[in-house]
This record gives sequence, structure tokens and C-alpha cells, in this order.
Amino acid sequence: MKKSSIVKQKFKTQREKDVLSHMISTSLKYKLWIAFLFLFIVFGMYGYYRQLRYGLIVTAMRDFTSWGIYISNFVFFVAISLVGSLFSSILKLNDNIWSKPLIRVSEIIAVSAIICAAVIIIVDMGRPDRFFYVITHLRIQSPIIWDVIIISTYLVISILLLFISILPDIAICRDRLTEIPKWKKRLYKIMAINWSNHPKQLAKLQKVTKVLAITILPVAFAIHTVTSWLFATTWRPGWDSTNLGPYFVSGAFMAGAAVIIISMYLIRKHLNLKPYITESHFDKMGKLLVLLSLVYLYFNINEYLGPAFKMVGVEGEHITELFVGNYAPMYWFVQLGGLIFPVILLMFRWFRKPIPIFIISVFVILGAWFKRYLIVIPSMQHPYLPIQGVDESYLHYNPTWEEWSITFASFAWLLLIITVLIKLFPVIPLQEDELDLENSVEPNSLKNEN
Amino acid sequence: MKTKKNLHLSLLQVLFLIGWGFINNSMIYGQETMEEAIISISFNEENNLKTIIATVKDQEGQPIEELDLFFYVERTFSLLPIGDVFNTTDENGMVEVEFPSDLPGDSEGNVAIVVKILESDLYNDQTLEMTKKWGIPVQLDESQEKRSLWAAAANAPISLIVVVSSMIIAVWYIIIYIIYNLFTISKIKI
Repeated sequence: MKKSSIVKQKFKTQREKDVLSHMISTSLKYKLWIAFLFLFIVFGMYGYYRQLRYGLIVTAMRDFTSWGIYISNFVFFVAISLVGSLFSSILKLNDNIWSKPLIRVSEIIAVSAIICAAVIIIVDMGRPDRFFYVITHLRIQSPIIWDVIIISTYLVISILLLFISILPDIAICRDRLTEIPKWKKRLYKIMAINWSNHPKQLAKLQKVTKVLAITILPVAFAIHTVTSWLFATTWRPGWDSTNLGPYFVSGAFMAGAAVIIISMYLIRKHLNLKPYITESHFDKMGKLLVLLSLVYLYFNINEYLGPAFKMVGVEGEHITELFVGNYAPMYWFVQLGGLIFPVILLMFRWFRKPIPIFIISVFVILGAWFKRYLIVIPSMQHPYLPIQGVDESYLHYNPTWEEWSITFASFAWLLLIITVLIKLFPVIPLQEDELDLENSVEPNSLKNEN
Repeated sequence: MKTKKNLHLSLLQVLFLIGWGFINNSMIYGQETMEEAIISISFNEENNLKTIIATVKDQEGQPIEELDLFFYVERTFSLLPIGDVFNTTDENGMVEVEFPSDLPGDSEGNVAIVVKILESDLYNDQTLEMTKKWGIPVQLDESQEKRSLWAAAANAPISLIVVVSSMIIAVWYIIIYIIYNLFTISKIKI
């Protein structure tokens, strides 16, 4: 669509114009961004082609480290998908008005992340054609089956949650957007399911939204708890812990909040939505991130203090490897750069301004990704059974270029899905009553909002 | 120039003929030499010593000397090799292999004994399987059939099935309820 389309398109309100303009015109910057993402995707697909052609031998995964960066990436994606429930359920049910413009972004991220999580787990399979064996040979005792069930359930709920939240706006797009291609008009017409703002429709939608907001909470907790049980039920040092469920869930909320801050910054900058995503949002998200990080820090201390105090056998070797061994630089980057420094810095108001908090959140996300790497890989390298007479390659794990290319491609997919969803649907609610009402919220009212 | 080209052509023809000759020869050689051997097995049991005796003869009934045979006992997932590393037939075409006395069989003690000719230069690959009551009878431990976390899918603990199923039903009931409500929303008209 050319820029002239925006001129031809008539908007009823300034808000409509602000939110919908980018959906009508496609800038060169947008095209370049898509091309950039495709570059990674094509490269990753070549890596995956090689993996399918030659088998998992092209990866660095061997007998001991049989879970590599695919699984750490999977845990990361599941973690950030939890952000949907943070906004659509926890903040919403607590009547937080300020978080309303962020609900949709969080739901879009949740849907995109959970799709990528489901796909990356298939990528990890040596024989993806046997995926359906998981269902046909279902064994209810296996935590992997619990994970498959909960991920598919959470995916459906996340899609429903996103759909319900954008339904009235899809109807507005259907009715008001004239300067769009035919396929888009048809898409909005089908997706709007005859929505006409009828009081009966509104009442039903409100009821459904509330039911879903309550339902998603236990499911969201379950999805990441079950993911943690994949580890907790496997007998390896570092995983044999009762702390793992809450440790994973709290880490997920922290990572999710950081992802939202990064998205807020980019959306606000590139879609010109400054009046809707304000500095006050960054300020509040900063405080929320501090709170979530402190909870995560608490579980981190719980996770490491016990084994580090006792230093028993292989468990001790594992801790030594993390604290002062091969993984020490990564471990301390994660704990200091991705957790403790962000907490300290974000306590100061200046660091909660858009640019500083954006940079800090990037560090939190990097820390969160490498944290998953540290959870998966060092534990795999310390089995309880003695290592005797094995091939040298079993003892180390350095991801191959195929693994990295596929991992980067998965990030590109995530960003592509998010970009396409933001391009197709209004990212900020169009109706005034869904407004953040920024002025009515006091700057220091976080204590009332959580 | 022309003579050079002709020389190239005749060289190619010679090479082609030599190649063709080789292929033909090897085909004829292969067809003439590879034949079916006839294996027969007998069992001997004396003083707790169990022996498998295999005799190999050619199509004319002449014993085959110096042929390697491979002996196995069929296990759950693969074949367990028994006997020496090389079990070669003597001048009578016979070879004896001792059967281990400590191998478990089925509930009646049956084991499947497999004898193979593999990758011989003169004889085709062949497999012969016979069942013998030489294993130690194994009665299945009933506790293995009990419902437990480590049992097969069909023997999952009832409590686990109930808990997991009820959670799945509860959540999916809500999902279906919501989809149904969305359907009714689409039916409301002004």
C-alpha cells in the first residue's frame, strides 16, 4: 500500500489514525526488517535441512549432553509466553488501568512464543516424522506427555485470549478501513464474527473474557511448572530440587516483563505511539520488573545455597563448574548482569526512563536466555553414573553452526510472527474506554496495582 | 588432426571393450560360484553340557569344509552371539558350539537358536531358526504388571489417570464453553 492510501483513508478519531495508520501503509523500513528476518530464517532452514539430511550428528549433542541449546531455547520461549497471563490475568483482574494498553502486546508475544516453543521441540527431535507417535503411544506417566498436553492447551487459550481482546477492534477495521487489499477486508470480515457492539454481544464477551482471565492463570503456572518437572524428574545434579517449579515460574515472569519493556520501546518508537505508551508506563514496568526480579533472586538463592553449602559429590562438582569453573563467566554474567545490577539500577527513577530501561531489559533477556543454557547444559555433563571409556566428543558441548543457525532462525520466526500480528491487528485498543487513563493514575501507585 | 581424433575414438572403443569384458566376466563368475548351502542342525545333551551341531552340505550332498557359521540366541531386542569368534566347519562339514547353561527362556524355557551363513565368498547368506527347550524358564514377576509410574502405558496408576484426565477435562470444558459463546456471539444480529 502506498502512502496515498493513508490520505484517502478517513479516520473518525485521532486515536484511530494513530493506531491504524501503520496497518494501511507499508514503509521501506518495514520491508527491510522483514527481509532481514527472512535472511536468518533461510539460513536456519539450510541448517535444519542438513540436520534432517544427516541426522542429529550435525549438532554437538551426544550421549551425555543429549539436550542442547534447542531445549534451553524451548524453556526460554515457554518462559516468555507466560507474559500473556501476567497482563491478561494478574494485572487485569487486579483492576490495573495503566497496564491496559500493554495487554495486547503481551498476548501477541505469548501466542508467538508458544508457537515457537512448540516448533523448536519438534526441531530437537531426530525423527520429526515420528512426532505423532507421542500421541499414538501416549504414556500418561511421562512428564513429556504432560508438557505436550499443557503446551497445546496453553496455545489454544492464548490464541482465544488474543482473539477475544481484539474482536471489537477487528470489527472496527472491517467497518472503517477502506484503503486495504481485498484479502485483508475478507480476513477482518471472517474474524469479526458478525460483531456489531450489540449489548448482548458485549455482555457475553465480558463474561467470556473474565472466565478466560481466571482460567489462564493456573494453566500458565502449570505450563512452566511442568516444563521444570521435565528437569526435576530427571536424576541429574542441579535438577534434583523441589524448588524448580516456582524458580522457573518466577524467572519466566521476570523475562516476560523485560520482553514487554523491549517491545514497548520498539513499538512506541517505530509506530509513533508515544501518546499511548508513555514514560509513566516505562516507570511502572520498571518497578514491576524490580519486584519480579527480587522474587526470582529469592528462588535463585534457594536454588544454589543448599548444594553450595554441602558440596556433595557430583552436585558439588556441578556447583564448582558454575561458580569458578568453565561456566563461571556465563554464570556471573547471568546473575550480576541479568539480575542483580538491573534490580539495583531500576530502583532509581532515571533508569526507568525509556532508553535506559530498554538497555537494562536487553541485558535481562540475554541473562534469561543464558540462564536456561546454564540450567540445561552443565547438568547434562555431570551424570551420576561414572564416565568411562567414552568418545572425547561426549565430554564437551559447544553448539555447532547448524544449531546456532536454527536457534537464530527461531528468534527470527518469533519476531516475524509478532511483526505480522502487529501489522494485521491494532496493537493498542481502539476504543476510548480501554484507554490507559494515564492522568487518572498516580505515578507511585504500584502498591495498589499489584 | 583427423588421425588424432580417430586415435581417440579407437582408444575409447578398446577401453569400452575391456570394461564390458570385466563386467561380463564378473557376472558369469558370480553366477557360477554363489550357490545355496544346506544347513542341518542337531542337538546333543550330555552331563549338563548342551551342544549345537550344525552340518553344512552343498546341493550335491557333499560336506562343505572351512565355512564360517554364526550362532545366535534370540533375545528381546537383538540376537546374542554364542560359540567362538570363528566357528568353522571341519572336513565333514560339521561344527559344534556349546550352548550356555544360564540363558533365560520363555515361561517354558524355550529359546530360539539362530544359525547363519554370512558374507561367504561361495555361498549365499542364509538363516536357520529352531526352537529348543534349553533356556531357564522365567516366570513373569507379577509386580511388574502392577500399576505404577514405571509400568507400560496400559498399567498407569489409576490415581494419576484420574487426576490428569480431570484437569484436562476441566480446562478443555472451559475452552469449548468459550468457543461456543463466541459462536453464539456471531449469531446475535441487530
